[in-house]
Amino acid sequence: MQTKIIIGTIAFMLTMIVLGFVALNEPARLEAFSNAYEGRSIENGAEIFANNCATCHGINGRAEQCFDAAGNEIGCVGRPLNAVDLLCGTKPPRLVAMDWGGAKYDFIEGTVAAGRPWAGMPTWGQQFGGPLQNNEVRDVTLFVLNWESETLCGGEAVEGPVWPSQVSELPAGDPENGAAVYQVPYGCNACHGLVEDESTANGPGPWLGVLAEEADERIEGYTAADYIYESILLPNAHIAPECLTGGQPGPCAEPSTMLANFGERMTEQDMADVISYILGTTEFESNVEVQYPEGAVAPPVEE
Amino acid sequence: MATFVDQVRELGLKQATIAKADEAVERLTAGMNVNDLRDMLRGEEPRRPNPRLRPHADGFWLHIRPSFYHTEVTHIYPTFRLGWLSTFMFVWETITGIFLMIFYTPSPDAAYSDIWNILGNVPLGQLMRNLHRFGAEVMVVVVALHMLRTFVTGSYKQPRQFTWVTGMVLLVLTLILSFSGYLLPWDQLAYWAVTVAVSAAEATPGPPALGENINLLLRGAPTIGAGGLLRFYLLHVLALPLLLAIFFFVHYYKVVIHGHSLPPGREAIGEDTAKRVPRDERTYFLPDIATSELMWTALTVLFLVAGSIWFYNAPLERQANPLVTPLHVVAPWYLAWSQGWLKLADKVFIAFIFIPGLATAFFLMPYFEVGKSRRYADRRVGLSVAMLFIALMWISNWMGSPEYRVQSSPDQEVAQELLPQEGHSALKEVPYAYLEPGTYGPFDAEDAPNPFLAAALEEFGHAMQQRSCSLNGDGPFERCRVIEQGDDVRYGNSFTNDAMPNPQAQLIIDDYQENMRRLVLVFSAPDPRNPESSLYSYTRTGYRHELSNYEEERRILQ
Repeated sequence: MQTKIIIGTIAFMLTMIVLGFVALNEPARLEAFSNAYEGRSIENGAEIFANNCATCHGINGRAEQCFDAAGNEIGCVGRPLNAVDLLCGTKPPRLVAMDWGGAKYDFIEGTVAAGRPWAGMPTWGQQFGGPLQNNEVRDVTLFVLNWESETLCGGEAVEGPVWPSQVSELPAGDPENGAAVYQVPYGCNACHGLVEDESTANGPGPWLGVLAEEADERIEGYTAADYIYESILLPNAHIAPECLTGGQPGPCAEPSTMLANFGERMTEQDMADVISYILGTTEFESNVEVQYPEGAVAPPVEE
Repeated sequence: MATFVDQVRELGLKQATIAKADEAVERLTAGMNVNDLRDMLRGEEPRRPNPRLRPHADGFWLHIRPSFYHTEVTHIYPTFRLGWLSTFMFVWETITGIFLMIFYTPSPDAAYSDIWNILGNVPLGQLMRNLHRFGAEVMVVVVALHMLRTFVTGSYKQPRQFTWVTGMVLLVLTLILSFSGYLLPWDQLAYWAVTVAVSAAEATPGPPALGENINLLLRGAPTIGAGGLLRFYLLHVLALPLLLAIFFFVHYYKVVIHGHSLPPGREAIGEDTAKRVPRDERTYFLPDIATSELMWTALTVLFLVAGSIWFYNAPLERQANPLVTPLHVVAPWYLAWSQGWLKLADKVFIAFIFIPGLATAFFLMPYFEVGKSRRYADRRVGLSVAMLFIALMWISNWMGSPEYRVQSSPDQEVAQELLPQEGHSALKEVPYAYLEPGTYGPFDAEDAPNPFLAAALEEFGHAMQQRSCSLNGDGPFERCRVIEQGDDVRYGNSFTNDAMPNPQAQLIIDDYQENMRRLVLVFSAPDPRNPESSLYSYTRTGYRHELSNYEEERRILQ
């Protein structure tokens, strides 16, 4: 009996010692684990993003290069997500533009879950009829937020692209190349249809085939090229009178739902080619100066 | 009756307090005062009348325990303490389970993140979860061994047949209890294992409405969701433990009534002397059995704690998703035999004829196996059948294990080994800092930039060797065996009949986000008969975040 008491006591003490060591290490382990959950959520989000979102937003989230299921490059119809104006600062410009009162996380989670049906983004959350569970929406949101980094937001203002103030300063346009880049990579046809075929325009943007005739009459003092050049760089400068909404002609949305990032994405040559594809001319005249803001994608100033 | 004040007047404060304390101890122990306890711990003989019997007669806790045992049954053999250990494991699971219940909500929205909360926010939470889950598996082993021991020593024979029946009920309850807890973390592992198991109910013979309704009853809806989780939770924490407790008391009452059977060689054939214990062969519960049980408690706790820290880690996969079926769904090991059997015969036959038939045979065995002798030499047939049955279970378990699973294509199998959708792999456990971006072939282990990656690449090479072959016999792979099946040609090696001929495989690691890398496995094998097209072509992408912590998960203590 004495031996048993001794063995039992030793076993009990050993258990206590082991537990003591575990307890000492516990704060570090807890921290590693709460981070691990987030890390794994982001990994899961990356997988969901690659399978569902990259088709429109690009695998790098910049809406620059998008591929369909068969691996062919197609136009990116989504907005860039790996972008300063969505991710940097506590109140990034895109939240401000929508009068969003909540945090970035809620903004992105809400957009993923409910979608933006008017702008072509489907609903993803199951509670709105989409395919993703709540936790998957959360994972994708954490993944998108994970693009926020020192390199992206940097603190210093990012040099925005500089555009010539007059469209006539662009190089000569090539309508054939314009027709190609109009579809890939810029994806204009997703909203505006093809210039030569009105039946391909299904909204939400207006069909551009009318512009060769009408563009110079839309705004007083603007040449056709001025009007198109400014509308591509600054989608809210002019709102076209008539858009297709759900297949029916109606007034265009204001503010415009057109992506405001073509100034960042396009080269001067591509710009000239697209305008010449729309207008059918290779040289452009200009009457007005377009004020494309310098440093348009500068990170917002922290309050 | 003198009041305390009278006693102080008579004896003085000190003596009166001592007398009062002694009285309190005597009440708490239901009959033993401080001196009796001291004598007992010193190993001295009890006074007359023996105060150590009074807790059995007057106390609640010991009234169900016998006051003495036959000395022959107090050694390790013949009981191996397995019955007591089973009881202990039930108490242990109750205690650790209550701890986990505090932090758990049985709802699909909350359950999974609750488990992560236990792992990442609750002090000692991971340990507690490991203790509970490890304990559940230990309990299955202990209860099964207890049954085996009872069979081997013939302790199920008259008059203990009914004890055996209640013991069988307890074994079945233990298995169901363990499996019902499986669903609660609400991860992929849980969800799909339970979905597959419950789907057996659909095969219920009779009108289809019967199977559908049984299924509905278990799942709470056509698929397992909030209702099913709540049902499994209530089964796990309420219904099954309650049933188990009831049957435990019946079982133990029968054990006490009939006494522990002596080792088979110790009594004449056909006799049962367990209740006729000569005075000189008695070992009293107090103090000998009690200290022995306390010692085993301490040792078992040490084993469980150490095991949960160093040798066992409760898995947690991704959150359950009814739309994503993982590649290989497996039952827990203690039910793998049923999965093995399902590969051998029809679902209806296995689930509704074979397993219930076998269970009935087990339940009723003591009533038709009525040989009088419990001695081993007289029971050669019975013991041999038992050994054969154990061998059968062993093989069935292996057949139900992941090793014996249905194989998918070789490129996917290699990808699954290195970058499984769920669970661990050598590549997943390379710490983030050592996942050096670059392009690696399956045989680049020697040139790997660090030992972690080298270990993962070694696995890569090994997996490729198993699933690949070489058409002309040179290079690192075996020569292909060409297998013609009608128009179709497959290529085999000594491991599989479906190998990749002359494959190209690469692991590409690149930076994806600032703190996340992308691991891409690319496989391609051209069709030897038509080099233009490819026989196998597959890409799997995995992601690895800096904080995911796969490599640390298994170690609480470092």
